[in-house]
Amino acid sequence: MLELTNIRKAFNQGKHNEYWALSGIDLAIPAQQVTALRGPSGSGKTTLLTILGCLARPTEGRVRLKGEDISGLPERFLTDIRRRSFGFIFQQFNLIRGLSAVENIILPAYPTGQPRKDLLLKADALLADVALGHRRDAKVEWLSGGEQQRVAICRALINDPEILIADEPTANLDTKLSKEFLGILEKLADKGRTIVLTSHDPMVVDSSVVNRVVSLRDGHIVDAK
Amino acid sequence: MIFQPAIIALLLAAGISLAMLLAASPFAVQVIRHWDIASGSERQLKLERLTYLFSTLVAFVCLVQILAALLFVFNADKMSVMFVGAMCAVGALNVNAFGFPALYVQLTLFFLAVLWLALNHVDSRARDYPLVRLKYALLLAAIPLFILSLWLQLSYFLGLKADVITSCCGSMFSEQADTLASEVTALEAKPAMIVFYGTLAAAIALSAWHWLGHGNERGNMSGYLTGLASLAGFVAAIAGILAFVSLYIYEHPHHHCPFCILKPEYDYQGYALYVPLFVGAAAGMSTGVLRLFSGRPSLAPVIDATSRPLAGVAVVGFGLFVAVATFMIWHSNLILLD
Repeated sequence: MLELTNIRKAFNQGKHNEYWALSGIDLAIPAQQVTALRGPSGSGKTTLLTILGCLARPTEGRVRLKGEDISGLPERFLTDIRRRSFGFIFQQFNLIRGLSAVENIILPAYPTGQPRKDLLLKADALLADVALGHRRDAKVEWLSGGEQQRVAICRALINDPEILIADEPTANLDTKLSKEFLGILEKLADKGRTIVLTSHDPMVVDSSVVNRVVSLRDGHIVDAK
Repeated sequence: MIFQPAIIALLLAAGISLAMLLAASPFAVQVIRHWDIASGSERQLKLERLTYLFSTLVAFVCLVQILAALLFVFNADKMSVMFVGAMCAVGALNVNAFGFPALYVQLTLFFLAVLWLALNHVDSRARDYPLVRLKYALLLAAIPLFILSLWLQLSYFLGLKADVITSCCGSMFSEQADTLASEVTALEAKPAMIVFYGTLAAAIALSAWHWLGHGNERGNMSGYLTGLASLAGFVAAIAGILAFVSLYIYEHPHHHCPFCILKPEYDYQGYALYVPLFVGAAAGMSTGVLRLFSGRPSLAPVIDATSRPLAGVAVVGFGLFVAVATFMIWHSNLILLD
Protein backbone atom coordinates (compact mmCIF):
# COMPACT_ATOMS: atom_id res chain seq x y z
CA MET A 1 0.00 0.00 0.00
CA LEU A 2 2.61 2.53 1.16
CA GLU A 3 6.32 2.13 0.57
CA LEU A 4 9.06 4.33 1.96
CA THR A 5 12.59 4.03 0.62
CA ASN A 6 15.61 5.63 2.26
CA ILE A 7 13.56 8.45 3.77
CA ARG A 8 15.38 11.33 5.44
CA LYS A 9 13.79 14.42 6.90
CA ALA A 10 15.63 17.50 8.05
CA PHE A 11 14.42 20.57 9.90
CA ASN A 12 16.17 23.96 9.84
CA GLN A 13 18.22 22.74 6.92
CA GLY A 14 21.42 24.66 6.30
CA LYS A 15 21.14 26.50 9.62
CA HIS A 16 23.24 26.08 12.76
CA ASN A 17 20.41 24.14 14.42
CA GLU A 18 19.88 21.71 11.54
CA TYR A 19 18.24 18.56 12.78
CA TRP A 20 17.62 15.26 11.02
CA ALA A 21 14.42 13.81 12.44
CA LEU A 22 14.52 10.73 10.24
CA SER A 23 17.44 8.94 8.61
CA GLY A 24 17.43 6.05 6.18
CA ILE A 25 13.91 4.82 6.81
CA ASP A 26 12.83 1.87 4.68
CA LEU A 27 9.32 0.77 5.49
CA ALA A 28 6.42 -0.93 3.76
CA ILE A 29 2.91 -0.54 5.14
CA PRO A 30 0.80 -3.50 4.03
CA ALA A 31 -2.80 -3.01 3.00
CA GLN A 32 -5.67 -3.85 5.35
CA GLN A 33 -3.45 -4.16 8.40
CA VAL A 34 -2.96 -2.11 11.54
CA THR A 35 0.60 -0.85 11.93
CA ALA A 36 1.72 0.88 15.10
CA LEU A 37 4.75 3.16 15.31
CA ARG A 38 6.31 3.08 18.76
CA GLY A 39 9.18 5.01 20.25
CA PRO A 40 10.17 7.58 22.85
CA SER A 41 9.53 11.28 22.39
CA GLY A 42 11.78 12.69 19.67
CA SER A 43 12.25 9.32 18.01
CA GLY A 44 10.60 10.56 14.81
CA LYS A 45 7.20 8.80 15.08
CA THR A 46 5.09 11.84 14.30
CA THR A 47 7.45 13.03 11.55
CA LEU A 48 7.25 9.60 9.95
CA LEU A 49 3.48 9.63 10.29
CA THR A 50 3.22 13.03 8.58
CA ILE A 51 5.30 11.70 5.69
CA LEU A 52 3.20 8.54 5.47
CA GLY A 53 0.06 10.69 5.46
CA CYS A 54 1.42 13.10 2.84
CA LEU A 55 1.22 15.98 5.30
CA ALA A 56 4.93 16.61 4.76
CA ARG A 57 7.45 15.80 2.06
CA PRO A 58 10.67 13.96 2.87
CA THR A 59 13.90 15.87 2.38
CA GLU A 60 15.29 12.80 0.62
CA GLY A 61 13.95 9.41 -0.37
CA ARG A 62 10.94 8.07 -2.21
CA VAL A 63 7.35 7.54 -1.12
CA ARG A 64 5.13 5.25 -3.16
CA LEU A 65 1.39 4.98 -2.72
CA LYS A 66 -0.03 1.91 -4.45
CA GLY A 67 3.08 1.87 -6.67
CA GLU A 68 2.86 5.53 -7.66
CA ASP A 69 5.82 7.70 -6.71
CA ILE A 70 4.39 10.67 -4.85
CA SER A 71 7.57 11.93 -3.19
CA GLY A 72 8.19 14.83 -5.59
CA LEU A 73 4.62 16.04 -5.79
CA PRO A 74 3.97 19.69 -4.99
CA GLU A 75 1.75 20.40 -2.01
CA ARG A 76 -1.41 21.19 -3.97
CA PHE A 77 -1.36 17.76 -5.61
CA LEU A 78 -0.57 16.09 -2.28
CA THR A 79 -3.71 17.76 -0.94
CA ASP A 80 -5.79 15.93 -3.57
CA ILE A 81 -4.14 12.62 -2.66
CA ARG A 82 -4.66 13.25 1.05
CA ARG A 83 -8.32 14.07 0.52
CA ARG A 84 -8.85 10.96 -1.59
CA SER A 85 -6.81 8.36 0.24
CA PHE A 86 -6.25 9.38 3.85
CA GLY A 87 -8.25 10.04 6.96
CA PHE A 88 -6.60 11.63 9.99
CA ILE A 89 -7.24 11.38 13.70
CA PHE A 90 -5.16 13.89 15.61
CA GLN A 91 -4.01 13.67 19.20
CA GLN A 92 -5.93 16.84 20.15
CA PHE A 93 -8.79 15.83 17.79
CA ASN A 94 -8.61 19.29 16.12
CA LEU A 95 -12.38 19.68 15.97
CA ILE A 96 -13.74 23.11 15.20
CA ARG A 97 -15.44 24.71 18.18
CA GLY A 98 -18.75 26.35 17.51
CA LEU A 99 -19.70 23.73 14.91
CA SER A 100 -21.86 20.75 15.71
CA ALA A 101 -20.62 17.17 15.58
CA VAL A 102 -22.23 16.55 12.21
CA GLU A 103 -20.89 19.84 10.78
CA ASN A 104 -17.38 18.90 11.87
CA ILE A 105 -17.73 15.50 10.26
CA ILE A 106 -18.82 16.73 6.83
CA LEU A 107 -16.30 19.57 6.68
CA PRO A 108 -13.44 17.64 4.94
CA ALA A 109 -15.89 16.43 2.31
CA TYR A 110 -16.96 19.90 1.14
CA PRO A 111 -14.10 20.27 -1.38
CA THR A 112 -15.17 17.01 -3.06
CA GLY A 113 -18.33 18.70 -4.25
CA GLN A 114 -20.76 16.08 -2.97
CA PRO A 115 -24.28 17.37 -2.21
CA ARG A 116 -24.76 18.40 1.42
CA LYS A 117 -27.78 16.12 1.70
CA ASP A 118 -25.67 13.06 0.79
CA LEU A 119 -22.94 14.11 3.19
CA LEU A 120 -25.39 14.46 6.05
CA LEU A 121 -26.75 10.97 5.38
CA LYS A 122 -23.21 9.61 5.34
CA ALA A 123 -22.31 11.45 8.54
CA ASP A 124 -25.44 10.13 10.28
CA ALA A 125 -24.50 6.56 9.33
CA LEU A 126 -20.98 7.06 10.67
CA LEU A 127 -22.29 8.57 13.92
CA ALA A 128 -24.66 5.62 14.31
CA ASP A 129 -21.71 3.21 13.86
CA VAL A 130 -19.95 4.77 16.86
CA ALA A 131 -23.18 5.06 18.89
CA LEU A 132 -23.21 8.85 18.79
CA GLY A 133 -26.30 9.50 16.67
CA HIS A 134 -28.08 11.24 19.55
CA ARG A 135 -25.30 13.87 19.77
CA ARG A 136 -25.22 14.82 16.09
CA ASP A 137 -26.33 18.43 16.62
CA ALA A 138 -24.41 19.10 19.81
CA LYS A 139 -21.60 21.63 19.62
CA VAL A 140 -18.30 19.76 19.87
CA GLU A 141 -17.15 21.73 22.89
CA TRP A 142 -20.08 20.26 24.81
CA LEU A 143 -18.96 16.68 24.12
CA SER A 144 -16.83 14.54 26.43
CA GLY A 145 -13.29 13.52 25.43
CA GLY A 146 -14.43 10.09 24.26
CA GLU A 147 -17.30 11.58 22.28
CA GLN A 148 -14.99 14.12 20.70
CA GLN A 149 -12.66 11.36 19.62
CA ARG A 150 -15.51 9.42 18.06
CA VAL A 151 -16.50 12.55 16.13
CA ALA A 152 -12.88 12.85 15.01
CA ILE A 153 -12.98 9.22 13.82
CA CYS A 154 -16.19 9.87 11.88
CA ARG A 155 -14.63 12.95 10.31
CA ALA A 156 -11.60 10.88 9.27
CA LEU A 157 -13.92 8.39 7.58
CA ILE A 158 -16.27 10.79 5.78
CA ASN A 159 -14.31 10.61 2.49
CA ASP A 160 -14.13 6.83 2.78
CA PRO A 161 -10.30 6.75 2.81
CA GLU A 162 -8.30 3.58 2.27
CA ILE A 163 -5.76 4.57 4.91
CA LEU A 164 -6.45 5.87 8.37
CA ILE A 165 -3.68 7.76 10.16
CA ALA A 166 -3.89 8.31 13.91
CA ASP A 167 -1.36 10.23 15.98
CA GLU A 168 -1.34 9.16 19.64
CA PRO A 169 -5.09 8.46 19.51
CA THR A 170 -5.41 7.43 23.16
CA ALA A 171 -3.10 10.03 24.67
CA ASN A 172 -6.03 12.11 25.95
CA LEU A 173 -8.26 9.20 26.97
CA ASP A 174 -8.61 7.22 30.16
CA THR A 175 -8.42 3.42 30.23
CA LYS A 176 -12.13 2.89 29.62
CA LEU A 177 -12.22 5.24 26.65
CA SER A 178 -8.98 3.75 25.30
CA LYS A 179 -10.65 0.32 25.34
CA GLU A 180 -13.64 1.81 23.51
CA PHE A 181 -11.27 3.24 20.94
CA LEU A 182 -9.63 -0.15 20.44
CA GLY A 183 -13.08 -1.61 19.88
CA ILE A 184 -13.75 0.91 17.11
CA LEU A 185 -10.28 0.27 15.67
CA GLU A 186 -11.02 -3.45 15.55
CA LYS A 187 -14.25 -2.85 13.67
CA LEU A 188 -12.45 -0.62 11.15
CA ALA A 189 -9.68 -3.20 10.72
CA ASP A 190 -12.28 -5.92 10.15
CA LYS A 191 -13.77 -3.77 7.40
CA GLY A 192 -10.38 -3.83 5.65
CA ARG A 193 -9.05 -0.35 6.39
CA THR A 194 -5.30 0.16 6.42
CA ILE A 195 -4.46 1.84 9.70
CA VAL A 196 -1.21 3.44 10.79
CA LEU A 197 -0.93 4.91 14.25
CA THR A 198 1.65 6.17 16.68
CA SER A 199 1.38 5.35 20.34
CA HIS A 200 3.26 5.13 23.60
CA ASP A 201 0.35 3.33 25.15
CA PRO A 202 1.12 -0.40 25.79
CA MET A 203 -2.63 -1.06 25.80
CA VAL A 204 -2.74 -0.01 22.14
CA VAL A 205 0.65 -1.29 20.96
CA ASP A 206 0.30 -4.69 22.62
CA SER A 207 -3.33 -5.09 21.62
CA SER A 208 -4.34 -7.95 19.36
CA VAL A 209 -5.84 -5.41 16.95
CA VAL A 210 -2.35 -4.27 15.96
CA ASN A 211 -0.78 -6.53 13.35
CA ARG A 212 2.65 -4.98 13.28
CA VAL A 213 4.74 -2.80 15.57
CA VAL A 214 7.58 -0.65 14.21
CA SER A 215 9.94 0.73 16.85
CA LEU A 216 11.83 3.93 16.27
CA ARG A 217 14.74 5.53 18.09
CA ASP A 218 16.65 8.67 17.10
CA GLY A 219 15.10 8.74 13.66
CA HIS A 220 15.94 5.13 12.80
CA ILE A 221 13.85 1.97 12.74
CA VAL A 222 15.28 -0.29 15.42
CA ASP A 223 12.75 -3.06 15.26
CA ALA A 224 9.82 -4.10 13.08
CA LYS A 225 7.81 -7.16 13.97
CA MET B 1 -1.85 66.76 -20.56
CA ILE B 2 -0.98 63.69 -18.56
CA PHE B 3 -3.72 64.46 -16.03
CA GLN B 4 -6.32 62.62 -18.06
CA PRO B 5 -7.92 59.60 -16.37
CA ALA B 6 -7.00 57.23 -19.19
CA ILE B 7 -3.41 58.45 -19.36
CA ILE B 8 -3.03 58.18 -15.59
CA ALA B 9 -4.48 54.67 -15.76
CA LEU B 10 -2.10 53.66 -18.55
CA LEU B 11 0.95 55.08 -16.79
CA LEU B 12 -0.09 53.42 -13.54
CA ALA B 13 -0.62 50.12 -15.35
CA ALA B 14 2.84 50.34 -16.94
CA GLY B 15 4.51 51.51 -13.74
CA ILE B 16 2.84 49.08 -11.37
CA SER B 17 3.38 46.18 -13.79
CA LEU B 18 7.08 46.98 -14.00
CA ALA B 19 7.35 47.39 -10.23
CA MET B 20 5.66 44.03 -9.66
CA LEU B 21 7.92 42.28 -12.16
CA LEU B 22 10.99 43.86 -10.61
CA ALA B 23 9.77 42.70 -7.20
CA ALA B 24 9.34 39.19 -8.59
CA SER B 25 12.69 39.12 -10.38
CA PRO B 26 14.89 38.05 -7.41
CA PHE B 27 12.47 35.17 -6.87
CA ALA B 28 12.65 34.36 -10.60
CA VAL B 29 16.45 34.11 -10.32
CA GLN B 30 16.09 31.81 -7.29
CA VAL B 31 13.71 29.55 -9.22
CA ILE B 32 15.98 29.38 -12.25
CA ARG B 33 19.02 28.58 -10.11
CA HIS B 34 17.63 26.29 -7.42
CA TRP B 35 14.36 24.71 -8.55
CA ASP B 36 14.46 20.93 -8.03
CA ILE B 37 11.03 19.34 -7.84
CA ALA B 38 12.49 15.97 -6.82
CA SER B 39 13.92 17.49 -3.66
CA GLY B 40 12.03 17.91 -0.43
CA SER B 41 14.53 20.40 0.96
CA GLU B 42 13.22 23.37 2.89
CA ARG B 43 14.44 25.71 0.14
CA GLN B 44 12.48 23.79 -2.49
CA LEU B 45 9.34 23.75 -0.34
CA LYS B 46 9.68 27.50 0.18
CA LEU B 47 10.14 28.07 -3.56
CA GLU B 48 7.03 25.99 -4.29
CA ARG B 49 4.94 27.97 -1.81
CA LEU B 50 6.24 31.29 -3.11
CA THR B 51 5.65 30.29 -6.71
CA TYR B 52 1.88 30.36 -6.04
CA LEU B 53 2.16 33.93 -4.82
CA PHE B 54 4.43 35.15 -7.62
CA SER B 55 2.52 33.34 -10.36
CA THR B 56 -0.64 35.08 -9.17
CA LEU B 57 1.20 38.38 -9.16
CA VAL B 58 2.53 37.93 -12.71
CA ALA B 59 -0.86 36.69 -13.91
CA PHE B 60 -2.34 39.93 -12.57
CA VAL B 61 0.32 41.91 -14.47
CA CYS B 62 -0.60 39.99 -17.64
CA LEU B 63 -4.29 40.76 -17.23
CA VAL B 64 -3.46 44.42 -16.65
CA GLN B 65 -1.42 44.48 -19.87
CA ILE B 66 -4.25 42.88 -21.86
CA LEU B 67 -6.66 45.56 -20.65
CA ALA B 68 -4.03 48.29 -21.11
CA ALA B 69 -3.70 47.41 -24.80
CA LEU B 70 -7.40 48.06 -25.30
CA LEU B 71 -7.29 51.26 -23.24
CA PHE B 72 -4.24 52.53 -25.12
CA VAL B 73 -6.03 52.29 -28.46
CA PHE B 74 -9.26 53.73 -27.04
CA ASN B 75 -7.37 56.62 -25.44
CA ALA B 76 -5.38 57.41 -28.60
CA ASP B 77 -8.63 57.71 -30.51
CA LYS B 78 -10.25 59.79 -27.77
CA MET B 79 -7.29 62.19 -27.64
CA SER B 80 -7.45 62.93 -31.36
CA VAL B 81 -9.89 65.82 -30.87
CA MET B 82 -7.22 67.69 -28.90
CA PHE B 83 -4.73 68.03 -31.75
CA VAL B 84 -4.89 70.19 -34.82
CA GLY B 85 -4.79 68.01 -37.91
CA ALA B 86 -5.69 64.77 -36.16
CA MET B 87 -8.73 62.93 -37.50
CA CYS B 88 -8.31 59.78 -35.45
CA ALA B 89 -5.84 57.87 -33.27
CA VAL B 90 -3.20 58.13 -36.01
CA GLY B 91 -3.01 61.89 -35.56
CA ALA B 92 -2.77 61.56 -31.78
CA LEU B 93 -0.07 58.89 -32.08
CA ASN B 94 1.84 61.05 -34.55
CA VAL B 95 2.06 64.04 -32.24
CA ASN B 96 5.55 62.92 -31.34
CA ALA B 97 7.96 60.14 -32.27
CA PHE B 98 6.96 57.90 -29.33
CA GLY B 99 3.27 57.28 -30.07
CA PHE B 100 3.46 54.45 -32.57
CA PRO B 101 6.43 52.68 -30.91
CA ALA B 102 4.46 52.79 -27.64
CA LEU B 103 1.46 51.22 -29.40
CA TYR B 104 3.57 48.48 -31.00
CA VAL B 105 5.24 47.61 -27.69
CA GLN B 106 1.85 47.56 -25.93
CA LEU B 107 0.48 45.17 -28.54
CA THR B 108 3.57 42.97 -28.21
CA LEU B 109 3.00 42.89 -24.45
CA PHE B 110 -0.61 41.88 -25.11
CA PHE B 111 0.48 38.78 -27.04
CA LEU B 112 3.24 37.97 -24.54
CA ALA B 113 0.77 38.30 -21.67
CA VAL B 114 -1.65 35.85 -23.27
CA LEU B 115 1.19 33.42 -23.94
CA TRP B 116 2.47 33.65 -20.36
CA LEU B 117 -1.02 33.06 -18.99
CA ALA B 118 -1.38 29.99 -21.23
CA LEU B 119 2.02 28.63 -20.10
CA ASN B 120 1.15 29.32 -16.47
CA HIS B 121 -2.20 27.58 -16.87
CA VAL B 122 -0.68 24.33 -18.16
CA ASP B 123 2.33 24.42 -15.86
CA SER B 124 0.25 24.78 -12.71
CA ARG B 125 -1.84 21.77 -13.72
CA ALA B 126 1.10 19.44 -14.38
CA ARG B 127 2.19 17.49 -11.32
CA ASP B 128 5.87 18.44 -11.56
CA TYR B 129 5.53 22.08 -12.69
CA PRO B 130 7.79 21.39 -15.69
CA LEU B 131 7.62 24.90 -17.18
CA VAL B 132 8.34 26.83 -14.03
CA ARG B 133 11.90 27.73 -15.08
CA LEU B 134 10.77 28.78 -18.55
CA LYS B 135 7.96 30.89 -17.09
CA TYR B 136 10.29 32.81 -14.83
CA ALA B 137 12.99 33.11 -17.50
CA LEU B 138 10.33 34.66 -19.74
CA LEU B 139 9.43 37.02 -16.92
CA LEU B 140 13.07 38.16 -16.66
CA ALA B 141 13.35 38.44 -20.44
CA ALA B 142 10.20 40.57 -20.57
CA ILE B 143 11.41 43.12 -18.02
CA PRO B 144 13.36 45.19 -20.62
CA LEU B 145 10.19 45.30 -22.72
CA PHE B 146 8.20 46.56 -19.74
CA ILE B 147 10.88 49.21 -19.08
CA LEU B 148 10.74 50.18 -22.76
CA SER B 149 6.94 50.35 -22.59
CA LEU B 150 6.97 52.60 -19.54
CA TRP B 151 9.66 54.84 -21.03
CA LEU B 152 7.85 55.11 -24.38
CA GLN B 153 4.52 55.87 -22.74
CA LEU B 154 6.04 58.44 -20.40
CA SER B 155 7.91 60.07 -23.30
CA TYR B 156 4.80 59.98 -25.43
CA PHE B 157 2.35 61.35 -22.88
CA LEU B 158 4.77 63.93 -21.45
CA GLY B 159 5.60 65.02 -24.99
CA LEU B 160 1.99 65.68 -25.99
CA LYS B 161 1.70 69.36 -26.94
CA ALA B 162 -1.70 70.71 -27.87
CA ASP B 163 -0.16 73.27 -30.24
CA VAL B 164 1.53 70.64 -32.41
CA ILE B 165 0.02 70.36 -35.85
CA THR B 166 0.01 66.65 -36.45
CA SER B 167 -0.39 64.63 -39.63
CA CYS B 168 -3.66 62.82 -40.25
CA CYS B 169 -4.24 59.24 -41.27
CA GLY B 170 -4.77 60.26 -44.88
CA SER B 171 -1.05 60.90 -45.31
CA MET B 172 0.09 57.76 -43.51
CA PHE B 173 -2.26 55.31 -45.21
CA SER B 174 -2.34 56.85 -48.68
CA GLU B 175 -1.29 54.72 -51.60
CA GLN B 176 1.43 57.24 -52.48
CA ALA B 177 3.25 57.30 -49.14
CA ASP B 178 6.57 55.49 -48.80
CA THR B 179 5.72 53.16 -45.92
CA LEU B 180 4.93 49.49 -45.41
CA ALA B 181 1.34 50.48 -44.58
CA SER B 182 1.04 52.32 -47.89
CA GLU B 183 2.41 49.26 -49.73
CA VAL B 184 -0.40 47.24 -48.21
CA THR B 185 -3.06 49.85 -48.85
CA ALA B 186 -1.99 49.93 -52.50
CA LEU B 187 -2.93 46.26 -52.93
CA GLU B 188 -5.64 45.58 -55.48
CA ALA B 189 -8.93 44.72 -53.80
CA LYS B 190 -9.49 41.40 -55.59
CA PRO B 191 -6.14 39.70 -54.83
CA ALA B 192 -6.23 41.20 -51.33
CA MET B 193 -9.66 39.64 -50.78
CA ILE B 194 -8.44 36.27 -52.05
CA VAL B 195 -5.48 36.36 -49.63
CA PHE B 196 -7.70 37.67 -46.80
CA TYR B 197 -10.44 35.08 -47.08
CA GLY B 198 -8.05 32.27 -48.08
CA THR B 199 -5.70 32.79 -45.14
CA LEU B 200 -8.45 33.30 -42.60
CA ALA B 201 -10.38 30.30 -43.91
CA ALA B 202 -7.20 28.24 -43.49
CA ALA B 203 -6.73 29.60 -39.95
CA ILE B 204 -10.32 28.75 -39.03
CA ALA B 205 -10.18 25.31 -40.66
CA LEU B 206 -6.86 24.36 -39.02
CA SER B 207 -7.99 25.67 -35.63
CA ALA B 208 -11.23 23.70 -35.96
CA TRP B 209 -9.20 20.63 -36.97
CA HIS B 210 -7.15 20.91 -33.81
CA TRP B 211 -10.14 21.81 -31.65
CA LEU B 212 -12.14 18.79 -32.74
CA GLY B 213 -9.16 16.50 -32.30
CA HIS B 214 -8.63 15.34 -35.85
CA GLY B 215 -4.89 15.86 -35.78
CA ASN B 216 -2.29 13.15 -35.54
CA GLU B 217 -2.14 11.03 -32.44
CA ARG B 218 -1.18 13.80 -30.06
CA GLY B 219 -2.45 16.67 -32.12
CA ASN B 220 1.00 18.25 -32.46
CA MET B 221 0.86 18.76 -36.20
CA SER B 222 -2.58 20.34 -36.10
CA GLY B 223 -1.48 22.46 -33.12
CA TYR B 224 1.64 23.80 -34.85
CA LEU B 225 -0.36 24.49 -37.99
CA THR B 226 -2.98 26.32 -35.92
CA GLY B 227 -0.25 28.53 -34.46
CA LEU B 228 1.30 29.33 -37.83
CA ALA B 229 -2.07 29.83 -39.54
CA SER B 230 -3.17 32.13 -36.73
CA LEU B 231 -0.08 34.29 -37.20
CA ALA B 232 -0.67 34.35 -40.95
CA GLY B 233 -4.37 35.00 -40.39
CA PHE B 234 -3.59 37.95 -38.14
CA VAL B 235 -1.24 39.50 -40.73
CA ALA B 236 -3.75 38.86 -43.53
CA ALA B 237 -6.56 40.35 -41.44
CA ILE B 238 -4.64 43.58 -40.76
CA ALA B 239 -3.63 43.75 -44.44
CA GLY B 240 -7.24 43.13 -45.47
CA ILE B 241 -8.52 45.91 -43.18
CA LEU B 242 -5.98 48.29 -44.71
CA ALA B 243 -6.51 47.18 -48.28
CA PHE B 244 -10.28 46.93 -48.63
CA VAL B 245 -12.39 46.35 -45.47
CA SER B 246 -11.84 49.95 -44.37
CA LEU B 247 -12.85 51.20 -47.81
CA TYR B 248 -16.19 49.42 -47.55
CA ILE B 249 -16.83 50.77 -44.07
CA TYR B 250 -16.04 54.36 -45.05
CA GLU B 251 -17.70 53.87 -48.45
CA HIS B 252 -14.77 55.78 -49.86
CA PRO B 253 -12.37 54.24 -52.40
CA HIS B 254 -9.23 55.95 -51.05
CA HIS B 255 -9.60 56.08 -47.26
CA HIS B 256 -7.67 53.13 -45.84
CA CYS B 257 -7.22 54.17 -42.20
CA PRO B 258 -7.51 51.24 -39.75
CA PHE B 259 -8.11 53.64 -36.83
CA CYS B 260 -10.99 55.83 -38.04
CA ILE B 261 -13.26 52.78 -37.78
CA LEU B 262 -12.84 53.01 -34.00
CA LYS B 263 -14.51 56.41 -33.92
CA PRO B 264 -18.07 57.03 -32.73
CA GLU B 265 -18.88 58.46 -36.19
CA TYR B 266 -18.47 54.90 -37.47
CA ASP B 267 -20.34 53.42 -34.52
CA TYR B 268 -17.13 51.99 -33.02
CA GLN B 269 -17.27 49.26 -35.68
CA GLY B 270 -13.51 48.81 -35.40
CA TYR B 271 -13.85 47.27 -31.96
CA ALA B 272 -16.20 44.64 -33.37
CA LEU B 273 -13.40 43.75 -35.79
CA TYR B 274 -10.31 44.07 -33.63
CA VAL B 275 -11.45 42.46 -30.38
CA PRO B 276 -12.36 39.07 -31.93
CA LEU B 277 -9.33 39.27 -34.22
CA PHE B 278 -6.87 39.83 -31.38
CA VAL B 279 -8.54 37.25 -29.15
CA GLY B 280 -8.57 34.67 -31.96
CA ALA B 281 -4.98 35.38 -33.01
CA ALA B 282 -3.63 35.27 -29.45
CA ALA B 283 -5.47 32.03 -28.70
CA GLY B 284 -4.38 30.41 -31.97
CA MET B 285 -0.73 31.40 -31.62
CA SER B 286 -0.69 30.22 -27.99
CA THR B 287 -2.05 26.87 -29.18
CA GLY B 288 0.97 26.43 -31.44
CA VAL B 289 3.45 27.45 -28.74
CA LEU B 290 1.88 25.16 -26.13
CA ARG B 291 2.18 22.14 -28.42
CA LEU B 292 5.97 22.60 -28.38
CA PHE B 293 5.92 21.24 -24.83
CA SER B 294 3.57 18.32 -25.28
CA GLY B 295 6.49 15.89 -25.41
CA ARG B 296 6.88 16.08 -21.64
CA PRO B 297 4.91 13.21 -20.12
CA SER B 298 3.37 15.21 -17.28
CA LEU B 299 2.30 17.97 -19.66
CA ALA B 300 0.87 15.93 -22.53
CA PRO B 301 -2.67 15.49 -21.14
CA VAL B 302 -2.77 19.02 -19.69
CA ILE B 303 -1.66 20.58 -22.96
CA ASP B 304 -4.17 18.55 -24.88
CA ALA B 305 -6.93 19.69 -22.54
CA THR B 306 -5.83 23.32 -22.92
CA SER B 307 -4.72 23.69 -26.53
CA ARG B 308 -7.95 22.28 -27.96
CA PRO B 309 -10.27 24.76 -26.18
CA LEU B 310 -7.78 27.51 -27.10
CA ALA B 311 -8.09 26.47 -30.73
CA GLY B 312 -11.87 26.65 -30.22
CA VAL B 313 -11.46 30.25 -29.05
CA ALA B 314 -9.38 30.91 -32.19
CA VAL B 315 -12.16 29.46 -34.36
CA VAL B 316 -14.75 31.66 -32.67
CA GLY B 317 -12.49 34.75 -32.75
CA PHE B 318 -11.48 34.45 -36.40
CA GLY B 319 -14.99 33.33 -37.35
CA LEU B 320 -16.55 36.38 -35.71
CA PHE B 321 -13.97 38.64 -37.33
CA VAL B 322 -14.66 37.27 -40.79
CA ALA B 323 -18.41 37.40 -40.22
CA VAL B 324 -18.32 41.01 -39.04
CA ALA B 325 -15.99 42.07 -41.88
CA THR B 326 -18.17 40.31 -44.45
CA PHE B 327 -21.30 41.86 -42.97
CA MET B 328 -19.73 45.32 -43.25
CA ILE B 329 -18.66 44.68 -46.85
CA TRP B 330 -22.08 43.25 -47.73
CA HIS B 331 -23.96 46.23 -46.33
CA SER B 332 -21.67 48.85 -47.83
CA ASN B 333 -22.80 51.03 -50.72
CA LEU B 334 -19.30 51.03 -52.13
CA ILE B 335 -18.67 48.87 -55.20
CA LEU B 336 -15.03 47.86 -55.53
CA LEU B 337 -15.44 44.71 -57.60
CA ASP B 338 -17.48 44.34 -60.74
